[in-house]
Amino acid sequence: MRALVAIVKREFLSYFVSPLAYVILTAFLLVSGSVFVLLVNALNAPETPSTAMMSLYFTNVFQWIFLMIVSSVISMRLLSEERKTGSIESLLTAPVSEATVVVGKFIGGWCFFLFLFLPTLVYPLLLSRYGRFDIGPVAAGYLGIALVGALFLAAGTFASALTKNQIVAAIVAFAIILGSFLVGIFRDLLPSANLRDALSYLNILDHMDDFSRGIVDTRRLVYVGSTVVFFLFLATRALEVNKGK
Amino acid sequence: MLEVQSLTKSFFGTAAVDDVSFRVEDGEILGFLGPNGAGKTTTMRMITGFLPPTAGRVSLAGVDVLARPLEAKRHLGYLPETLALYPEMRVREYLAYRARLCGVSRRDATARLSEALEKCFATDVADKPIGNLSKGYRQRVGLAAALVHRPMVLVLDEPTVGLDPRQIMKVRELIRDLKKDHTILLSTHILPEVELLCDRILIIDRGKIVAQGTPETLRQEMAQHPGLVVVLKGEIPEADVALKQIPGVAHASRIGAAGETRVLLESAERADLREAVFREVLARSWTLLEMTPRQASLEDVFVRLVAREEPDVEDAAAILARERAKTAEIPSFSEGPK
Repeated sequence: MRALVAIVKREFLSYFVSPLAYVILTAFLLVSGSVFVLLVNALNAPETPSTAMMSLYFTNVFQWIFLMIVSSVISMRLLSEERKTGSIESLLTAPVSEATVVVGKFIGGWCFFLFLFLPTLVYPLLLSRYGRFDIGPVAAGYLGIALVGALFLAAGTFASALTKNQIVAAIVAFAIILGSFLVGIFRDLLPSANLRDALSYLNILDHMDDFSRGIVDTRRLVYVGSTVVFFLFLATRALEVNKGK
Repeated sequence: MLEVQSLTKSFFGTAAVDDVSFRVEDGEILGFLGPNGAGKTTTMRMITGFLPPTAGRVSLAGVDVLARPLEAKRHLGYLPETLALYPEMRVREYLAYRARLCGVSRRDATARLSEALEKCFATDVADKPIGNLSKGYRQRVGLAAALVHRPMVLVLDEPTVGLDPRQIMKVRELIRDLKKDHTILLSTHILPEVELLCDRILIIDRGKIVAQGTPETLRQEMAQHPGLVVVLKGEIPEADVALKQIPGVAHASRIGAAGETRVLLESAERADLREAVFREVLARSWTLLEMTPRQASLEDVFVRLVAREEPDVEDAAAILARERAKTAEIPSFSEGPK
């Protein structure tokens, strides 16, 4: 447990000594702020039907594509950097298991992902000042973001365990994440109804839609939880096989 | 205590380490020698649990590394050959991280940290980022990181590589000092280092143990074959072949030197070769510049065991001679932190 905490802490803090963290933070705030302003403007136009503002903030595809890129970039260095420099040897000869390393790194990266959203708490604050505001759906929306972020980062951790090259890790991570995102969206093109049902279970946007309306469905939690565990398991296996190479 | 039993590692069917067994007792330093690519690092990686062995068993302080890796690795301090630290971290932060990683409680960590820093003469760089340190200091930080949780077994893979002579002396002093409380496996290819530090030596070549014993026993074995260095004027390519024909010569190898020919002869038994060599030189009307009997050194043992059948024996011998010359002269200059 001590080791896990130590790894999480080091991993999280190490983001802030690289320029990458600040680039991501800035870009994220820029994009997310623009999305917010655009949405507010659109909703202010008299012809738009009234909806909950934050619900749109959580579910617009534009923001999601950007988050996929951000997640791939956050996760790319987790394991590949250690393998490239060789510090993985010192790490794994300490009394820690591969699984602890993988989980610790995943949590560290995930904490950074969550950290990105800290400044966005200003948006609901602003909205509550100027209008009717329901805290429930917003809280559920943030929970949804945290869960989908966990899913993206778990996939990214796995990709990072596959290669020593960070760029390759980022591209593989993005491919996995985008792939899982798209199968949900294009499910209607499929002929079989069973397959459609199965794929709609994987649809991340549907998940977010639920959360942003304040619905915390246990099926969603199970889906994210099991997928995260699955990817981290794969990452552990990949690390066990690849570490000495 | 460190125990290795018939350790084997195959890569794609070729054995990189082949049935290696040895034991290092408490308070003992075992020197682990071998040419590059002999399987030293692979063996060490299996001992530290980093690489799974194809066959065999390793136990650290009585705990099996394969069966109970986490518990076994608690007793292990490892300095890898390619030391990679986190350049962005400060030395103190890194050691604290290592201590936590190895399960040292927060309360003990501060004390252990200062202790490790002090032992490794790295206290003066404690608050500097690792990325700004010189190679020597980085090596010391690596060593401090291996010590911070007070392990029983230390595995050091070429701890003095890349250090300046003064730092080498300090690190050697440190290792000798660590012997009191630790079992040490020391890999190196600097032979004087082995003679200085190690209680026992193990020589490995192509994955197999080719010799083991105390430095004295290995040297004595070698004394059965006294050496003679013959220096001839001019470059005579056929000299070693010709001198090898002399009855009683077991082995002849050229040891470099431009403008002259230098050949190292080893006698088969404790025979005196000088007269025979003199007559041979005379018969071929070469000019004899020098003839020096040579005390058997560990280098001779090493070269004999490891490089005997290889085509570039001369080179190996030359490299070793040069290396010995290099380590013999120790200029005194000190290096401060950058």
